[in-house]
Amino acid sequence: MTLGQDSAGRSLKTRLGYLGLAMSAGLLLLAVQLYRLQIAHGDEYAARSVDNFVKKIRLHADRGMIMDRRGEILVDNRPSFDLFVTPAFCQSCLDEVLPRLALYLGWDADQLQHAKDVVKAGKLAGNFQPALIRIDLSRDELDVVNAHRIELPGVEVMRVPHRNYRKGAVLAHLLGYMNEINQEQLERLNDGGASYALGDYVGRRGVESYFEAKLRGSDGMRKEVVNARGEPIPGLSELLAGEDPLQPQPGSNIVLSIDSRLQDEAERVFPGVAGAAVAVEIKTGFILAMVSRPSFDPNLLTGRVSASQMAGLVKDPLQPLVFRPVAQHYSPGSTFKPVTALAALKSGAFSPQTTATCNGGYRLGSRVWRCWSHGHGVVDARAALQHSCDTYYYKVGDTLGLDPIAEMGTALGLGSPTGIGVVAEVPGIMPSSDYHNRKTPGGYTKGMALNSAIGQGDDNVTPLQLAMVYAAIANGGSVYQPQVVRRVESVDGKVIEEFNPKLVRQVDIAPEHQKIVIDALSAVVNEPGGTAYASRLKDIKVAGKTGTAQVARLGSVRVKKESMDYWERDHAWFASFAPTEAPEIAVVVLNEHGGHGASDAAPGAMAIIHKYFELKREDANSVAIEQTAVPEHPSLKAYARTAPPSIR
Amino acid sequence: MQLGIERRMVPHIPWSLIGSILAVSALGIWNLASASRPPHNPVWTNQMINLLVGVAAAVAVCLVDYRFIYRMAVPVYLLNICALLALKVLGPLRLQPAEFMKIGMVLMLAKFFHDDYRPTDDSYGLVRLWRPVLISLVPMGLVLVQPDLGTTMMLLFTASTLILFAKVKRSVVVALGVAGLLVAGIIWNDYIRETPEPHGTLIRQLLKHHQSQRIASWLDPERDLRGSNYHSAQSKIAVGSGGLTGKGWGQGTQTGLFFLPEQHTDFIFSVWAEEHGFLMCLLLIALYGCILLSAMGVAFNSRDRFGAFVAVGVAAMIFWQVFENIGMVSGLLPVTGITLPLMSYGGSSLVSVMLGLGLLVNISMRRHIF
Repeated sequence: MTLGQDSAGRSLKTRLGYLGLAMSAGLLLLAVQLYRLQIAHGDEYAARSVDNFVKKIRLHADRGMIMDRRGEILVDNRPSFDLFVTPAFCQSCLDEVLPRLALYLGWDADQLQHAKDVVKAGKLAGNFQPALIRIDLSRDELDVVNAHRIELPGVEVMRVPHRNYRKGAVLAHLLGYMNEINQEQLERLNDGGASYALGDYVGRRGVESYFEAKLRGSDGMRKEVVNARGEPIPGLSELLAGEDPLQPQPGSNIVLSIDSRLQDEAERVFPGVAGAAVAVEIKTGFILAMVSRPSFDPNLLTGRVSASQMAGLVKDPLQPLVFRPVAQHYSPGSTFKPVTALAALKSGAFSPQTTATCNGGYRLGSRVWRCWSHGHGVVDARAALQHSCDTYYYKVGDTLGLDPIAEMGTALGLGSPTGIGVVAEVPGIMPSSDYHNRKTPGGYTKGMALNSAIGQGDDNVTPLQLAMVYAAIANGGSVYQPQVVRRVESVDGKVIEEFNPKLVRQVDIAPEHQKIVIDALSAVVNEPGGTAYASRLKDIKVAGKTGTAQVARLGSVRVKKESMDYWERDHAWFASFAPTEAPEIAVVVLNEHGGHGASDAAPGAMAIIHKYFELKREDANSVAIEQTAVPEHPSLKAYARTAPPSIR
Repeated sequence: MQLGIERRMVPHIPWSLIGSILAVSALGIWNLASASRPPHNPVWTNQMINLLVGVAAAVAVCLVDYRFIYRMAVPVYLLNICALLALKVLGPLRLQPAEFMKIGMVLMLAKFFHDDYRPTDDSYGLVRLWRPVLISLVPMGLVLVQPDLGTTMMLLFTASTLILFAKVKRSVVVALGVAGLLVAGIIWNDYIRETPEPHGTLIRQLLKHHQSQRIASWLDPERDLRGSNYHSAQSKIAVGSGGLTGKGWGQGTQTGLFFLPEQHTDFIFSVWAEEHGFLMCLLLIALYGCILLSAMGVAFNSRDRFGAFVAVGVAAMIFWQVFENIGMVSGLLPVTGITLPLMSYGGSSLVSVMLGLGLLVNISMRRHIF
């Protein structure tokens, strides 16, 4: 009997037919899908198959250097071996590869967790982008990673240029530092047309941050044939022949107005544990040196700082992260008196000969405002400034009221940001009657004018503002915008952008008034009995003013009993310029809780001034020698461009 | 028991079937030679040996009368069950019993439907189905706990095809339809439905993570190109980039650059598609079609229900593997670990397919023997 000779067999055969049809239909469906993939979308998939095995490798652009005005390198790059993980190529990364890596390199749990977090974030951001796990691998660590290559898929060590702050803590606040870009910043910068990737470092604070776009340069790109594990496949790169790699464009160099030699001297002679020093060119507003104490090491903050170290920096009562020359304001004390003097003379109510009689104080209403001395006798404008007689200035305050003084101070740049730009600054306070009516309970009263006239009360200045005030007094009323950057240069030294002196405003100071003030300030230093006479220089006539500012204690900071003294000591100021006859440089030194201006600030300022003129002589000699030897030497031209007119 | 081939059997040797099988096998080895070119292991040489073993097995199967095979169905089935149990106890073996289980289950079901035939009541209701369902469920359960979801699915589809082919009552078809809708509903609830709060899932929590991911990525292919959907995406790129005529033997970049996981086993078709293009894919599908239709022919002309059911079972087994494998490689179906018959590297898979083909030839040759 064969199948199909009865009805049941026949029905089986019918079903066989249907089954055959169904299977054919199934195969047809496959053919249709293949048609869709291979014919309808064939080109698209062909393109994707090329992308697939070509890995794009970023060629890091060298970040621009930061140099001082003479071309001495302050910040450059050094090679470092950094550890990266490319999430796409790192199979069972979180569970196996990273723990293995942690074992080999002896990481603790925190470090492992950090690595995991980075890889997780990298997966979201761009799976093929190598994510930076660790910097500065030692030779030994490098060997360990290389030896275990096979067990560590997706892990690679790359030679990456790292930022090198050659002078450590010197100028740290001004230069800034770098750390890893955060997501929000990444999006913002890339929306603006940049091409940052997660794990990239970006400038923080100071020049590094302000000139980020110029320093950064643009990364290049090279294509490499890789397999699905990200391993380069030898001999296949010729597939890409004809495609030139995109070369990285190095960033521009930033040339500061700082003179590194003067800066070093200022650091060396700075008299206290905390405070600031500023040296600025009177005729241009370019800053020559800027000290902020205490400081921090930007090398540490550039990716090497631990959480506890960072917390230590933030909590330190001395606030090492604050850039004191511009970001902290202080009561100026007696260094403010030249402003009051100019306001008095300008008002006409005080002639140079107008006198006040000091018996150790000034009576206003029922209260006596004390002078620091028991009595200066009869003093005129010059003598009052020379001897820093408070009584005279009380009288000025009483006669003029606060507003003419505030007007002069404001015109000279107090109470508003200087516009230095590169670093964040506080505006300081130049109180006026209007200010007090707004801010002080009970509003403005005459007593406030008396306090402000001697630089106390609500007067608050930053060391840089004070330096700019003295510079303006010295140069006859030209208020410049202080600047720290001279030029932006290409790698080969071509000037891309040059910054010229910027005059903010010309303050109307009568030459005879200026002369009285300069004479008085010169007498402070150069005449016996002047408060800074002990610190005078032999060969250079310096004009200056000491200040000893009473301290409203650093409010929130609570310190141990034994250091109480320190926090209650007065701030010591010295504000100066030199030489008296044709002023070139203004120097301000602030020694926080230093004690007295004469003993604890003036010597430092004098040493800076001394060094400035010593350097000036040195430079003049070397230029003379070079000029006779090779007049057309290119480096000389560079030098001539670099050196400020005042030094040449 | 008769051994050997008699003269009168010769006209019934299904040459078209044998020809297509050998053609696909040859293409398979040629393709494997490309898929396993250096620096891969040159596994194609092993596959040649597997093929010889498979052919020898097929010839051996041809030599015995299939009535003997009919008698051996129960022992073979039980032996396979034991092998699966042994695997559970002993751990991984070189042989994959799950591959041979397919043949064992087909034989067992064929024997059942042969014995159970009632001329007066030839269609199966739910009650009468309990034995074939049990016969299928036992191996499925054992393979599932291996765990091998893919082969379980293949067993399920093959058994379902055979049971449906045995003619079931309309009510059973309706019940199956409802079950199908239920599965779709579960998938919808577990993988597609979006609610503001996480909602309870029905089976999702029972699946292994990678299995669950595969279903999810099948439903949404663009979801995570590098993650769970990596296989599917890479294989679609490979297939699609083949275009009309392919990149040429040994020229597949996806293949050469290790982008395809398991490219010499489950994803072997992507290598073929990438290197040889649409036209050769059609050729391969046509050859499979030829094998399947020849198998239908064998069933059509078989001497008894046992032969017809074995032939349909083997055809169903091959069809579902081809359909699922090419379907998954081309992104039509979720990724499961299913080999492509005669093309994928693997001894057990090749020999089990060859055994099935031996059965087909056997049944074909002995169609008129009394």
